[in-house]
Amino acid sequence: MSSHGSPLRVEVRPGKDATIVKLTGSAGMEVAGKLRDQLLSLINAETRRLIVDMSELEFINSVGLGGIVAAHLRCRKSDGEVHLVSPQPSIRALLELTKLTKLFSIHDSIESAIAQV
Amino acid sequence: MPFDPQPLENQHVVLSDLRAAREIEERILQEAEACGFSQESAFAIRLALEEAIVNAHKHGNRCDSTKHIRVSYKVTPERVIVRIADEGQGFDPDAIPDPTSPDRISLPNGRGLMLMRAYLDDVSYNEKGNEVQLIKERS
Repeated sequence: MSSHGSPLRVEVRPGKDATIVKLTGSAGMEVAGKLRDQLLSLINAETRRLIVDMSELEFINSVGLGGIVAAHLRCRKSDGEVHLVSPQPSIRALLELTKLTKLFSIHDSIESAIAQV
Repeated sequence: MPFDPQPLENQHVVLSDLRAAREIEERILQEAEACGFSQESAFAIRLALEEAIVNAHKHGNRCDSTKHIRVSYKVTPERVIVRIADEGQGFDPDAIPDPTSPDRISLPNGRGLMLMRAYLDDVSYNEKGNEVQLIKERS
């Protein structure tokens, strides 16, 4: 397997209370900027809550993390927010080190995230 | 470990383009894995390489894809050493604020240097501040 893991796949599932964004693969430097643009493009008057499913995300760098932070800030302008679900241990450690665990709610399942939005 | 200006055995110069740099990153990671570095170490090396390359492209070369990034490296079973240089004016790494402070936690950027330092055994810069040396020991 390539050291870079799988290419990043972004699946978007609009919902009644929140839009679910499932990230699969690797948000490496060549795609992390696009991830930011993609997340920001989802946020509008109707969509101000995002649930980012990280359960199959293998890698993310600071540009990708910054994209999720930017999306969170845009949601907050409309009284919304970004919730994170099930990051793998290496990515959870990254969130803890950067103290982004103070900014985001992290949930064990999509269901528990939906219950709190 | 102080910054060592002696050349390393592998040296590549690529245009300041993240896709071009990705190929070298892949080569370094494959060599590290072949030398017995763990998946955890590979994650750390990859993260630090990406932070350094993005900084070189974005801050050093100001996203000017006509400029170049020089990557030199040496991988042994004991350690990975990588140096990444850009064509910029350099910066003072000690002047970069802590991205985890309460007033900066919600900023979208500014975490790269902190992550390099956290995930590697040593990070040092040349005097000008436009070349970084990254060292990861095999744990």
